[in-house]
Amino acid sequence: MTTEAITTKAKNTEAKTTNAMTTDARAASLRPFGKPSRLWWLTVLALSLVVLTGIAAWVVQLQGGMGVAGYSDQAFWAIYIADVVTFIGVSYGGAVVSAILRLTGATWRAPLTRLAEGTAVVTVLIGAALIIPHLANPIRLWELVTRPNLSAPVFWDFVAVMTYIFGSIVFFALPLVPDMAVLGQEHGEQLGRRRATLYARVSRGWVGAPRQRRVLAGALGLVSIMIIPLAVSVHSVLAWAFASTSRPWWHESIWAPQFVIAALYSGVALVILVVAGFRSGYHLQGLITPRHFVRLGFILATLSATYIYLTFADLLPGAYVGDRGTAAVFTELLVGRLAIWFWLFAIVGGLLPLLLVALPWTRNVTGMVIAAILVVPMMWLKRILMVVGPATYDTMTGAFGRYHFTWVPVAITLAATAAIPLLLMLLFRVVPLLSIDEIEEMQELSDLEKNATPRPHTAPSEPAAHDDRLVGATSTAHRVAGATGVLLLVALLGMFGVGSADPAQAATPQTATLQTGTQSAPAVKLSGIEAGGMVQLTATLTSPHGQPLPKAKVAFLLSTTEFGSPARLIALGSATTDKTGVATLKYQPKVTGKQGFVATYAAGAKPVTASTNVAVTVARSPYHPAPAKPLASVGNVLVLALFAIVAAIWLTLIAQIWRVRRVCRGVQQTATSSA
Amino acid sequence: MQSHPTHSEEGGPVGPPPGATPDGRRGLSRRNLLATLGVTAAGGALALVSFQDDAQAAAMAPMAAKIKASAHAWCMVIDLRTCDGCKGCTMACQQRHGLREEQTWINVYDMKDADGGKFSMPRPCMMCEDAPCMYICPVGANIRTDDGLVLVDTEACIGSRACMAACPYEARYFNWTDPLPPKRLPMPSTPQMPVPEKGVVGKCVFCADRLPQGELPACVSGCPMGVLYIGDLVTDIAVNGLGKNVVLSEFLRANDAVRFKEELGTNPRVYYILGHGQSLGGGE
Repeated sequence: MTTEAITTKAKNTEAKTTNAMTTDARAASLRPFGKPSRLWWLTVLALSLVVLTGIAAWVVQLQGGMGVAGYSDQAFWAIYIADVVTFIGVSYGGAVVSAILRLTGATWRAPLTRLAEGTAVVTVLIGAALIIPHLANPIRLWELVTRPNLSAPVFWDFVAVMTYIFGSIVFFALPLVPDMAVLGQEHGEQLGRRRATLYARVSRGWVGAPRQRRVLAGALGLVSIMIIPLAVSVHSVLAWAFASTSRPWWHESIWAPQFVIAALYSGVALVILVVAGFRSGYHLQGLITPRHFVRLGFILATLSATYIYLTFADLLPGAYVGDRGTAAVFTELLVGRLAIWFWLFAIVGGLLPLLLVALPWTRNVTGMVIAAILVVPMMWLKRILMVVGPATYDTMTGAFGRYHFTWVPVAITLAATAAIPLLLMLLFRVVPLLSIDEIEEMQELSDLEKNATPRPHTAPSEPAAHDDRLVGATSTAHRVAGATGVLLLVALLGMFGVGSADPAQAATPQTATLQTGTQSAPAVKLSGIEAGGMVQLTATLTSPHGQPLPKAKVAFLLSTTEFGSPARLIALGSATTDKTGVATLKYQPKVTGKQGFVATYAAGAKPVTASTNVAVTVARSPYHPAPAKPLASVGNVLVLALFAIVAAIWLTLIAQIWRVRRVCRGVQQTATSSA
Repeated sequence: MQSHPTHSEEGGPVGPPPGATPDGRRGLSRRNLLATLGVTAAGGALALVSFQDDAQAAAMAPMAAKIKASAHAWCMVIDLRTCDGCKGCTMACQQRHGLREEQTWINVYDMKDADGGKFSMPRPCMMCEDAPCMYICPVGANIRTDDGLVLVDTEACIGSRACMAACPYEARYFNWTDPLPPKRLPMPSTPQMPVPEKGVVGKCVFCADRLPQGELPACVSGCPMGVLYIGDLVTDIAVNGLGKNVVLSEFLRANDAVRFKEELGTNPRVYYILGHGQSLGGGE
């Protein structure tokens, strides 16, 4: 297979434009690379201004503190965390449109995948960046790497988001290789110098040989499989970052799946908007047809229905049981101050899009775009409600604090919103707008199905294309599983080294010392000895004449300097003297070491006292630290398993890039040596 | 399952480049490389394990193990029978720590009981033995002293406010804007005696700098009614600002002391003796 073969294949494809894809994908992909129109420049300028305003607002917030963004102790989390959830959420469109459709073999996805994957990369980067204004000390963000708290959900959020970003980039970048090869080798003159250099570098060695195609398909299949659990993990951990706090409503066990569905829902809506925007901007109507929008609309409707169901399931049990906090938050949400916004979301963000898809006369491009326009901001509104309601609830008083938007977070949120089209417009000035290779492949496949005639040049390998892809993925999966197993094994072995030794406590025996009290009119003498783990205090009371004083009440006290000097006296109890004038009290010492005791006798107006010191060797404090929580020890195992899984994911993703690079290099060498 | 056919097929259509190793050995070398990668990653994982061991000391593990050997276990007893809600504790605390008016490290809540009777309830940091804030901080900026005090390392705080979300007692206050100008000579900020600083969280520290000196926390000495007792669970002593000294365990038992939101399992170290200021003659 040489470049000649590809040219022939392309010509072959051009000849067979029998289906809906009447426009050549290559021509469409090259369109953004031409001289930009005035509208393009104006749009980029306007969007850049919005982004710059947002950055300026962030600088203002850095100088003035989070207070200028409307935050207070009554509303400690608000708009930024909702932004993070929303923006990372919309990046799921890429995962669903590209990965799920790829795995299910939906061929109609081909003209949408690049746009969807690009949107995923751009939005997840913006969403991750929005954590910066959320933090009051963003300069210390690096501490998540240098001193992470492994029990904190936010740390795992960080890990999950970083892994998902890497996965999205790999998922976006791998299919670029054949496209860049095609454009670089056949349309080099239309690319311009810089793009041509970039394309040549990325696609070096790619000639579209069957073996290369198989490896790429295998790698993409594997990344498709991986990107779905990765996406699920990101929003689950985000939800758990809420759920692991002590706020009402955030605890609901349905939050993680609800977050995932919410993300998919808003993500598909954003994909519809992005696709519609680029379709009209670059005249892709020939490639992206109303049928694409309707199909995306069906996905949207399914997710809308699912999300409405989950929202109901989220609210019903809490409202039914009516715990104090949950009841208060739900009252505020459903009939209280936030009710207007909640019902606005429910109708405009939930039911209306569903209707727009369901009704035949709105089931067209305009209808789907309107549905998507409704969904995206309404899902942001829903996140705001989910954050602000519980965050402003005072768990002590049951009252609600207020959160007031100021221009600062609004500007930052708008900047993040404007950054999506801006970055996409810039991105598709650099990389091909459409997944050319995939479109052509799908076209060939559908031609193949229609005509049932094998193509002349790639006949031997092509009929088994799908099986090969599966096989490639499976064998890689085996290897990955092996590597993961080794990792886990080593990690588990390492755990045996994690042990803790109880520090031995040395007990130094001491003998009791004895002192007598000072003498006054009636006299009291106090002695203490340690016996059997107790301190036995003996007070001897004598009258001024030296006679034992019976039936007198003697109070015993403990003298302590723990809370400063002069020493404080703590009443331990009292005892009445017997015939010999002796009163005794047994005291259970709490700490070892020298301890002072005092005995007093209230002889009329002037009490008499005596004190003594006892060196305590055996003590028993009534205090016992709280026992560890039942599952506390499981955490260590969980952490190790998670690290092993994350490491395996990163290694597998890196291995896919390496695999594709390698097969390109290998074939290139063959091609040059045989030439 | 079908990995072998793939292998042979992979080399098939193209054929090995001259001078390259045969196909079988190439597969082997790939395996070697994967193994090398695996070992490297495992080494990394081990490093993380040992690191995690350190981190665990700070946050993860049963904290109880650490508390055992310490000489003190500071706690507080709040006798609601004598509280008249004068907020003297709050003011003394704010004065000492240079706090804004809304930063009530010890806050006196006006509460209502079931009969509509009113009572006042001071709330300091509960110094939980299983503190939710310690688990949730992404950078482990909460530290726990050997004496069981939960303190904030303001030099590490990234300002995520996760701890504010986690605290079931609303005991944490953030420095949303620049703090008040210091009234005293500038002093270094320590977890025991934090100096307010924009962008970090703050909370009651039980005046951790005073306790080792045998001094009472500002709120305890600032309470004119003797409501607040500072105590030590190990030595079993508690004292208030009016010179009342008690055997802690007996005092708690005799007065049916309870802990706030016991059901959450946070094991707070603040005990309440329930009441509504009746010893003052009011509220009954």
